[in-house]
Amino acid sequence: MLVEHIVVKEVTKRFPGTLALDKVSFTVYRGEIHALLGENGAGKSTLVKILYGIYTPDEGEVYINGKKLVITSPRDAVAHGIVLVSQTPTLINDLTIVENIILSLRHYNLFTRTRRVYSEVYSVLESLGLGIDPNTEVYKLTYTQKQMIEIARALLLKAKVLLLDEATSYLPLTEKKKLFDFLKKYVKKGNSVILITHKLPEALEISDRITVLRKGKVVGTVEKKKADITVIRRMMFGDTEFAPEAIKQRESIGNGVTLFIENLWVKGELGEYMVRNVTLSVRKGEILGIAGITGSGQIELFEAIMGLRKVERGIIKIDGVDTTNKDTGFIRSLGVGYIPDNPLEHGLSIDHTLAENIALCPKYSSFIIDWHAIRQDADRLVREYGIVTPSINTPIKLLSGGNLMKMLISRELEYATKLLVAYNPTRGLDEYTANKVRRNIKEKKAKEGLSVIFASEDLDEIFELSDTIAVMNSGRIVGVFDKYRATRDRVEELMVM
Amino acid sequence: MYIVQVLSTTAPLMLAYYLASLGHSIVEKSGVLNLAIDGVFVLSVAVAFAQAIYTWNNPLIPVVISVASSIAVGLILVYTTSKLPVSHGAIGLSLMFLCYGLSGVIGVPARTQQGLTGQEVGYPISPVSSVWVLLYIVVVGLGFLLHYILERTKLGAMIKASGEDPLVAEALGVDVLKTRILAGVLGFALIGLGASAFELLYTRIWREGTGIGHGWIAFAVSLSSGRHPLLGIITAFLFALLYEYRFSILAVGLPREMADALPYITAITAMVIYMATPLKTKLKTPKSLGKPFFKEERTI
Amino acid sequence: MASISLVVVKRVKPLPSWVAPLLSFTLGIAVATVLLWIVTLGRTDPIVVLASIGRALAMPQLLLKNFALLTIVGIGLLVSFKASVFNIGGEGQFYFAIIAATWIALFSGVGAIAIINKVLMLVVGVLLAGFWALIAALPRGFLGIDEVPVTLLMNYIAYYIVDYLVFNPWREPKYKYPRTPTIPEESWFIRIPGTTGTIELILLTVVVMAGIWYLMNNTRLGLAINVMGSNPNVLRVVGINPSLIVVSSLVISGMIVGIAGVSYLAGEAHLITIPAEACTPMLGYTGILVAWLSMLRIAYVPVAAYIVSALINAGINIQIAGAGKASVVDVFIGTILLIYSISVIFTEYSVKIIVKR
Ligand SMILES: Nc1ncnc2c1ncn2[C@@H]1O[C@H](COP(=O)(O)OP(=O)(O)OP(=O)(O)O)[C@@H](O)[C@H]1O
Ligand SMILES: [Mg+2]
Repeated sequence: MLVEHIVVKEVTKRFPGTLALDKVSFTVYRGEIHALLGENGAGKSTLVKILYGIYTPDEGEVYINGKKLVITSPRDAVAHGIVLVSQTPTLINDLTIVENIILSLRHYNLFTRTRRVYSEVYSVLESLGLGIDPNTEVYKLTYTQKQMIEIARALLLKAKVLLLDEATSYLPLTEKKKLFDFLKKYVKKGNSVILITHKLPEALEISDRITVLRKGKVVGTVEKKKADITVIRRMMFGDTEFAPEAIKQRESIGNGVTLFIENLWVKGELGEYMVRNVTLSVRKGEILGIAGITGSGQIELFEAIMGLRKVERGIIKIDGVDTTNKDTGFIRSLGVGYIPDNPLEHGLSIDHTLAENIALCPKYSSFIIDWHAIRQDADRLVREYGIVTPSINTPIKLLSGGNLMKMLISRELEYATKLLVAYNPTRGLDEYTANKVRRNIKEKKAKEGLSVIFASEDLDEIFELSDTIAVMNSGRIVGVFDKYRATRDRVEELMVM
Repeated sequence: MYIVQVLSTTAPLMLAYYLASLGHSIVEKSGVLNLAIDGVFVLSVAVAFAQAIYTWNNPLIPVVISVASSIAVGLILVYTTSKLPVSHGAIGLSLMFLCYGLSGVIGVPARTQQGLTGQEVGYPISPVSSVWVLLYIVVVGLGFLLHYILERTKLGAMIKASGEDPLVAEALGVDVLKTRILAGVLGFALIGLGASAFELLYTRIWREGTGIGHGWIAFAVSLSSGRHPLLGIITAFLFALLYEYRFSILAVGLPREMADALPYITAITAMVIYMATPLKTKLKTPKSLGKPFFKEERTI
Repeated sequence: MASISLVVVKRVKPLPSWVAPLLSFTLGIAVATVLLWIVTLGRTDPIVVLASIGRALAMPQLLLKNFALLTIVGIGLLVSFKASVFNIGGEGQFYFAIIAATWIALFSGVGAIAIINKVLMLVVGVLLAGFWALIAALPRGFLGIDEVPVTLLMNYIAYYIVDYLVFNPWREPKYKYPRTPTIPEESWFIRIPGTTGTIELILLTVVVMAGIWYLMNNTRLGLAINVMGSNPNVLRVVGINPSLIVVSSLVISGMIVGIAGVSYLAGEAHLITIPAEACTPMLGYTGILVAWLSMLRIAYVPVAAYIVSALINAGINIQIAGAGKASVVDVFIGTILLIYSISVIFTEYSVKIIVKR
């Protein structure tokens, strides 16, 4: 028998310039995994944030186990067994993992030594396949690792309702399997899960029911059994033309070498070598994809290329110019675009507007800013990438996660004339936009001879986008394949070897 | 024996600066920019003096009331800055003016009474008895205790989280308002204690304006030691020592102004040295210090 | 169990920007007057107090000097505050500008040459003030040494340097008073009759406001300074060196404060009196208050400067009228400012009451 666990009734949430949720109603039954889908800016995060007490609804009600609840803070939510794993890492960077986690544990008093939860945390991290010392400061972790810490936190909090906001997409394969198995067992015990993801197959695989949001309204809820991927796509994107595989791979690779790396050694945040003796080259018009699980040294490699991290040994050349340990401003002026691992911390200033974030880049403006021109650029990017924002003068912290990412990608892709260095370039984007971004990258490579080096924790993306695939494991390149010769099994094997 | 002389002479001022700076460090670690410190210090000095006059130099009551008044002002600062998206700096400086004024309102009548009765206040610290050793023990003990709380306990993690990123801290389940109130009570209690020590152990006299500027010195001691409870001991000691003995330095043949400037130069130098040690990352200013805290404004 | 909680929410439409400051200021005066009456056990006459404030507010000509100087200092400090670089060293920079300008006026030999003297006083004053700021800016920018204690402690060092100079080489020779000789009249700024201000000061205020407004809103340096205040990492990633931004913001800030220093010397003091620590007009500190009261918005700086200078004048009036002593006046000013700082946020926010059951 179905028992209502969470009932959301006619919830409306307005923000200045946006109607984020418009009379949204939906029900989660006890013991189900309920997927929440929708394009970027549909209102998914807003909805789960209301359940977690981060926002209070303007109108409407929330019932848990049949009782009406007003949740005004995450503490309230946790007390009712609701825990959110957020879309962007929500952890205090300068504290250690243990310190971050003990903040949430209400059964410990103020003077509890943080050390007391060390072993508890350690074993949960271990079960998620995260071999990290819980006394590590969080700023030393990658985006995906931070998300895993948040999942660990939710498990430690013994949640009855787990809200996963795009937290599963980038988990390493084996861990994802483990987590999904765990979730299935978890809901059997009468708990519930709300899962937000942009990967439809994933949603179809694990969820029991699927609710689709569009522009703040519920489009509908379907049973998994009756669900069909094309129907759901239509619910999500309406009649928007959807062309996932419409990109023609033109052979455009030239002879010149755009990026040349030889015997590179780079140290990580913890002071140990994260890039070990890497030699790579990317030709003009070539897309090199680096496959590897999170923390294999991809980030350090990219930061070294961008002049953001010291090269201990080795050489980096961009278009024949030696850029080893050169200033980032100089490297960028060669026409190098960059999409970092954690866009909110390193790519964009979230307190500033879209226009300001564009004007900050040297290419878009000289010392004196021509706001008129910037506004035109901004409008163009907004139109072209379908960035959902009240205006180009809205601080971008008010944008949804995917729209922030669109803003960064569009800026950097336009900026790059020679080389694009990108980490998880479509993280957080809905299917439609992700495809569009991939298509734009390929087009730019084909038409303008742009070279691309990117890393992705998502193998589908690696295979879809790359001309050449390199596998990185523990700081070393352990295999380089031509796209047509690489097999998924072989690459996966090398990644975790 | 000269050493005992020097240590005991330096003790009261060091105690005053250290306690106030330690309190300031805790308040600011929780993210509240405390520009009220000089005012609060001056107010607590006046309260301690007035109560000492009215209670015939009772050893306890003046301290308790002085601490209570410091906490009261501190709570206004902490509550408004954590509940409303106001400017920490504006609130702090307004409170500073308010406190300067209150100190006169409270102190002057007591001073008039002192003129009539000749009541003396405070307790001189002499090198002969070994009370001064106790002051050092208090300083070092409190230093280690607070270092332990900040670095090893859940409360410490809560305070640091509120100072680094209150929005994230809330999302993690920290009650930022409550945490800052706790840190504020603790911190302003220490500031009040420091001010009482300043009045009752160090100056032992009062006229309008006594203590002005010394709160800022405590502020500088706290910040130049990176708000670190243990490094603060060194800076407070050095500063108090050079301040007390600045005139002895004249004997070396320096210009007087140079001697005057020496404590300040030393504090800066000490800070540069701390920053050259591996402690550097622990000495960073809390990321959200002084930033208005508004709950509904968050991303993703 | 029902409980009531207050939640602050952002207004979908902000109030017109002048409403909240005006109401807040009025509310502040009302509350402070009542408080004053209580603190003095009913001995102050609220009418006298209100009249004093009214007089101060209604006579802008008497506020002109303080208003303009505070605006300049407030704007200067704002430039660094925007970058989250907290320049508490306004006093030191102010005095270094004065040192330079005094030297030009008294000892360079050009003190009596019209125009050149004033231009040189300004240029050299601004440069030396910028240099004093640079000493704190370099370690902050390149070594990450907290600028707040450094700039604060450097104020005291600056005072003592002034004391040394004035007490020894620059001492006024005739009576050996602890001060410098008066600077030549040719180098004085020109007083606007009937006011406390000078023509040059007003011009400088306008230029500074316009210049900094342009810098902050229309140049990449200004934008970078703004971004520095929220996320320095981004600067690194787009290829701007954050260290240079920190240094520029602090040095520009010091230079602007220096303009106020020169104006104070040439328009008002005409000589340096020591001990500096006791004789300073404290504009470097009061300017911090102005910058914070403006909530770091350039357009609000003059508003805040007006409020502060009016309150200072009103305070003097209240004392003259015998309605309260200096300390009572401080209570009064503090209360007004406190109420103002709290209530002014309601331009953009409102409070929602939530009843929980
Ligand atoms: N605090 C806020 N202030 C103003 N607008 C907001 C705020 N939070 C969200 N919005 C707006 O509400 C809309 C819905 O945002 P939300 O984050 O819920 O989208 P989402 O479905 O999670 O999208 P994504 O897939 O990109 O993460 C967006 O248009 C966003 O700009
Ligand atoms: Mg989202």
